[in-house]
Amino acid sequence: MSDYLAASIVLLAGTSLALPLLQLVKVKERNLPGYLLAVALAIAMALVSLNTLSPSVSPWFGSLLASDQLGGVFALVTLGVTLMVTVASFETRKRLSNSVYYGLLSFTALGMLLLSYSQDLLMLFVAWELMSLPTYVLAGFDKTETSNEASVKYAVIGAMSSAIILYAISLAYGLTGSTQISTVVEGFVSNQNALTGVAALLFVAGFGFKMSIVPFHMWIPDVYEGAPPTISALLAAATKKAGFIAAIRVLLALTTLFVITHNPLFTMANVFAVLALITMTVGNVAALTQRSMTRLLAYSSIAQAGYILVGFVPFASNPASLAASIGMTGAIMQVVNHAIMKGAAFLAAALVLTQLKRGDLGAYDGLAKRMPVTAFTLAVCFLALAGVPPLNGFWSKLFLFLSVVYGQYGWLAVAGILNSAFSLGYYAWLVKRMYMDEGESTERVKEPTWFVIVFAVAVGLIIGIGIFPQQLINFASGAVPNIFG
Amino acid sequence: MSIVLSLLIFVPFLASPLVYLAFRAGKNTGIYASAALAAVVLVLATYVFWAVYSSPPPQGQYLLTERASWVNFAFFGIDYYLGVDGLSSPLIFVTALLTLLVVYGSRKLIDHNEPEYYALLFLFEGAIMGVFSSLNLILFYVFWEIVLIPMFFFIGIWGGPRRKYAAMKFILFTFAGSTIMLLGFLYVYAGVQSFDIPDLAGHIPVSLQYLPLLASSIGFAVKLPLVPFHTWLPDAHVEAPSPISVLLAGVLLKMGGYGFLRISIGLFPNASAQYAWVFLALGLFSMFYGAISAILQRDLKKMVAFTSINHMGFVLFGAYATLISGNLLGIQGAIFQMFTHALAIGALFMLTGYVQHQAGTREIPLLKGLGTTMPRTATVLVLASAAAMGLPPFSSFLAEFMVIVAGISASIVTAVSILVPVITAGYFLWMIKRTVLSPPEPGSGVHDMTLSDVGAFAVYLIPLVLLLVASYVILNPALPVAEFLRGVAA
Repeated sequence: MSDYLAASIVLLAGTSLALPLLQLVKVKERNLPGYLLAVALAIAMALVSLNTLSPSVSPWFGSLLASDQLGGVFALVTLGVTLMVTVASFETRKRLSNSVYYGLLSFTALGMLLLSYSQDLLMLFVAWELMSLPTYVLAGFDKTETSNEASVKYAVIGAMSSAIILYAISLAYGLTGSTQISTVVEGFVSNQNALTGVAALLFVAGFGFKMSIVPFHMWIPDVYEGAPPTISALLAAATKKAGFIAAIRVLLALTTLFVITHNPLFTMANVFAVLALITMTVGNVAALTQRSMTRLLAYSSIAQAGYILVGFVPFASNPASLAASIGMTGAIMQVVNHAIMKGAAFLAAALVLTQLKRGDLGAYDGLAKRMPVTAFTLAVCFLALAGVPPLNGFWSKLFLFLSVVYGQYGWLAVAGILNSAFSLGYYAWLVKRMYMDEGESTERVKEPTWFVIVFAVAVGLIIGIGIFPQQLINFASGAVPNIFG
Repeated sequence: MSIVLSLLIFVPFLASPLVYLAFRAGKNTGIYASAALAAVVLVLATYVFWAVYSSPPPQGQYLLTERASWVNFAFFGIDYYLGVDGLSSPLIFVTALLTLLVVYGSRKLIDHNEPEYYALLFLFEGAIMGVFSSLNLILFYVFWEIVLIPMFFFIGIWGGPRRKYAAMKFILFTFAGSTIMLLGFLYVYAGVQSFDIPDLAGHIPVSLQYLPLLASSIGFAVKLPLVPFHTWLPDAHVEAPSPISVLLAGVLLKMGGYGFLRISIGLFPNASAQYAWVFLALGLFSMFYGAISAILQRDLKKMVAFTSINHMGFVLFGAYATLISGNLLGIQGAIFQMFTHALAIGALFMLTGYVQHQAGTREIPLLKGLGTTMPRTATVLVLASAAAMGLPPFSSFLAEFMVIVAGISASIVTAVSILVPVITAGYFLWMIKRTVLSPPEPGSGVHDMTLSDVGAFAVYLIPLVLLLVASYVILNPALPVAEFLRGVAA
């Protein structure tokens, strides 16, 4: 029996501990820690892929980790985004302190890897903190006023969400006498009372902060704007997905639960439907009015979280139905696609900010002439985010909306489709600014090779998945049965 | 299994990067490469047209079909499923012909960012071919949306002074329309578990037809465009460069007419028949609205744009007249009208480009004495106007005649539609009087188009004359389509 998963955990843990030590050694190559982390992440991804092909659970983990395909999907997505961020950081982090930076990135990656596979509430909480704590530091890594503000805000909100989750866990333990997710769920469902509903809602709130669900989204735009832009990419594309895996593992198992005992209006399905509606609408409307690119992307990322939630609704209403499996497949596909689209878009914004020293939308006027590769990447990402075929975002939205049409929540599909049409208002408007408006200059700006490589991979994936979506669909649908635990 | 239709889609898609590279090597190389590739597509399209003409597929069936599994999930699948019949083959042919003519016309009228322009042109052509040959609703939708992207850039980058506004308006209107259409398709799927057009036609329960009919008709009405969904069109046309207006009017609007026939009527026939009067009235209203608005226009191009609304109203009018009366001339005429309108309006839009290029303006009151200063342009203008008015010997006459006859057999009240060609003739003749027959401004010299340009315009107009004689090349294959649509609606 091969222990690929254990190997990848040990590898990342070792990297996390070793990288900061590099600061003590004099090395000529300043990017060495970055290179090492990139290699470690690539190997970890390979190991996770091998584990997904032939799942095996090491006896070390006991019942803490579930070595399933669902975890594999999220581990690959989060590690992949971290790798993208690491490669892009080769250009933006050429300072001496960079070994600490990469060390923290590595810790976050380890946290997300563990979180993806957690099937015990305590393991989940430890992984959650392991993922979150380094990002509080990373958000403030620039030590500017806005960066510090972002860091403090993020840390305070993060602490609050952790406290809420911990409180929910304590309720769960008190009610069922176990922290094993499957046992907790069984206990909750077989013995519903007011407290189980409270615990479920506390989980929604706690995870909701990371998932950027309205009304738990207030911190997102400020933090994404203040944090170093590569870290915003990490927060939007990776740690947010970690919120979703936690929600899928814990919340979706609670589907048959009534939030208020036996009141047919207050089912988990309706909670998700309402949250999805509010989240996508608020995100899209707010995005339209933004003046800064990172804020705009932050709100668009809130809207995208709403689309992912749409896929939860049919599952929560009847987990055994076809609609449920279409919806969850769509949600997992959207997680993967959103990580690629939003990760690349944030990195492009990071590059513009680094090279032009401007983050407002005015910097994007006429960008196609100044930074053609970046502008093209952004244009492809925007169209994909709006769900224009034949790009990857189209397929996940097709699955999501089909699932709710199928699952008797047709009004949610109407709302989602209108939201997509509405969102093109700002996405197309940005494409217009980049390709049709006149910029302040037409002078070419350097686009570093590492960024171009990341962009090429992302655009290749967006178009490739868009034309040949079958592999992704198989991958995502293979993970769905794991949700039942 | 034949691969002609796949070639028809993927030759242009592959041509897109090729011409981009060719233009980077030099403008002439690029033009020749584009012309050669467009000619290849035209040969393929001619083959498709000929194949459908020589053995028209029987009712509800398709020729040159191709089918391969594309996306599979649990027990639902989305197939890469192509086929043509008498409805799509004329549109495929006219798309290929117009693209070649647009390559020729753009040579003079497009003077910056050529590599991107021609690359997008072929992307557009491939997507349009996909729209007209898809037999799966999702595949259809994918191609339908790809069409938007090149058009957005065409208007926004190569357009006139208000190009950005027009481009945004275009993409927002059409994208909103098409997402609503997609919602209709999903609703159909939830009820019948299929996305395949041939399987769905005639097999959707009546109770499931109403909502998708409404949803898809909104998408098609925006494209057609049907008043009141038309406001993007005058802006888009006025701002788009003239060669692109040719494609916009000649090809993109046909997507709306095609959608109404293939999907609104073909898939939701009973609901369509029940509300046929509404669609008929909307079509009639569009015809009058387009014609009357055209009278008021000072800009020659805007006048032609409103003529498009007027002419596309005929398509809807004819299609639904058949549903009411059972008179097949309506649908046949609608298909014929789409073909003739593409060529006649295409020629007029290209002409506005030449007039603008040579006279520096398109304002009708400022264009004086074209008969003297630009005799060749003036001749072509008069002939193309005659084609657009529906004057014999141009086959647009026959198309409009058929549609009106079908309308009258639906109800005598619709005989008022006969006024539309009269108004159209009126404003075209008035425009000719003001521009061609007026005395020239003193001191203006002769600055005319070349003979080879005249030759290019002949390519638009000669088929129209020939088709009056040989109308059966379009009407024969259109007959089974019309019979099929009437049959499923009955």
